[in-house]
Amino acid sequence: MKNRLLILSLTLLILPVMAEGQPATDDIVSSCILSAGENTTYLKDFRIQLPKATPGGIAPVYKANLYLMKNMKYRFSVCNAPGSNGDLVITLYDQGKELISSYNRDTGKKYGSVDFVCNKTGLYTIWYDFVNGEQGSGVGVVCMIR
Amino acid sequence: MTGTITKIAAVILLASICSCKNSGPRQGSLSFPVADSVPAGEAEKLSEEALADIVQNIASPVEIASILQSMQVPFSAGYLAPTREADKLTTNFQKAVMLGIYGADLGYLNIYEKTGNSVEVLSTIKRLADGLRVGQYFDFETLKRLSVSKSNLDSLLFLSVNSYNQIDRYLRDNDRGSISALMIAGVWIEGQYFATQVALDNRDEILRDRIGEQKIILGDLLMLLRPYSTSSSEYQTLYGMMENMSRKYADVRVSYRLGEPETAEVDGRLVMVQHEESIVEMSDAQLAEIAEMSKEVRNTLISGI
Repeated sequence: MKNRLLILSLTLLILPVMAEGQPATDDIVSSCILSAGENTTYLKDFRIQLPKATPGGIAPVYKANLYLMKNMKYRFSVCNAPGSNGDLVITLYDQGKELISSYNRDTGKKYGSVDFVCNKTGLYTIWYDFVNGEQGSGVGVVCMIR
Repeated sequence: MTGTITKIAAVILLASICSCKNSGPRQGSLSFPVADSVPAGEAEKLSEEALADIVQNIASPVEIASILQSMQVPFSAGYLAPTREADKLTTNFQKAVMLGIYGADLGYLNIYEKTGNSVEVLSTIKRLADGLRVGQYFDFETLKRLSVSKSNLDSLLFLSVNSYNQIDRYLRDNDRGSISALMIAGVWIEGQYFATQVALDNRDEILRDRIGEQKIILGDLLMLLRPYSTSSSEYQTLYGMMENMSRKYADVRVSYRLGEPETAEVDGRLVMVQHEESIVEMSDAQLAEIAEMSKEVRNTLISGI
């Protein structure tokens, strides 16, 4: 009987811990899609989980290449997972040149989303990182603006 | 008795570990011998990063359907692949290609909010996914409920796209990249079919540009299929047809005009308007040839190679 209780207790204790260790779930993605606004259509999502930057080191970054199409308007939204230490930032690059970012490093201003009116079809790179290289997890959602 | 309880707890833990993995960025750790896996020695493997890039960048049927809708092109069930033959598909090659084709059809139906019509397509997708042993990633009941209730387009799109992404990741993680590549090809071919058939009857520069720009995407798709191109006669035929399509694109030109972007804050949101521009040069004759080839490839696949 004691063994049974012990095993059940351990199972109940371990399961939530394991679940918490997972990257952002579908629930966060869903709420992030909703936060993008009514005039948008969901296209893609990226689930980000990055460690804290080492002292003096470069902040960890999640990079993805994405074709964006001419005559399309895109909205890039970022949402932090509950318990995330850092604030998620999206930065869009075209051939190594920064186009737009949801975080202004000079003023410290943060945006929950940024819009990009695309006139050149091509391969762009999106970078996701956390402000000041903090540890964090969150979701980046790409939507098309109708 | 204690031993039985220990086993039950172990099974619960194992099941939870497996199910938790499914929500992570890399799904699944189970592997089983399958006839459709191509040994690494036979396939010139692309890096995981290169594969992810290609898969991410195959044109979304949702974007194509959205352009058609913005052109006020009425919905036409005639563009959809028939579902009645789906039960007769016997090979994994056919099932995987058709899974992609029906996926694009689902995107088209969703964007036009013909969600009542999509139940049949959803049922077919579920059967094909089960046939390929990836049905566990397809939340059929929720998708059906969202379709019937017409409640939330974004949720429907998210679940559809997410199911396909999970299937793709699972297949690639389990050395079934050849099947994943076929599914991706199917999505692209059906999207290309929609776009070209509509473009023949409706002159629209945005749609023409989109078709011309597929020259770049087609190059990526060929790269994705190439490692498996000699793995079977079916694959060889598909690859040959895609190469023919690529030849039709040979003289389509994509050039660029420079311009400085403008950034402004609009209603508390940062907006950038890009003034650098891409320009597609494609003649009517080239478009007609590409459309014909797209139709031929798609119809060959639907009738079974």
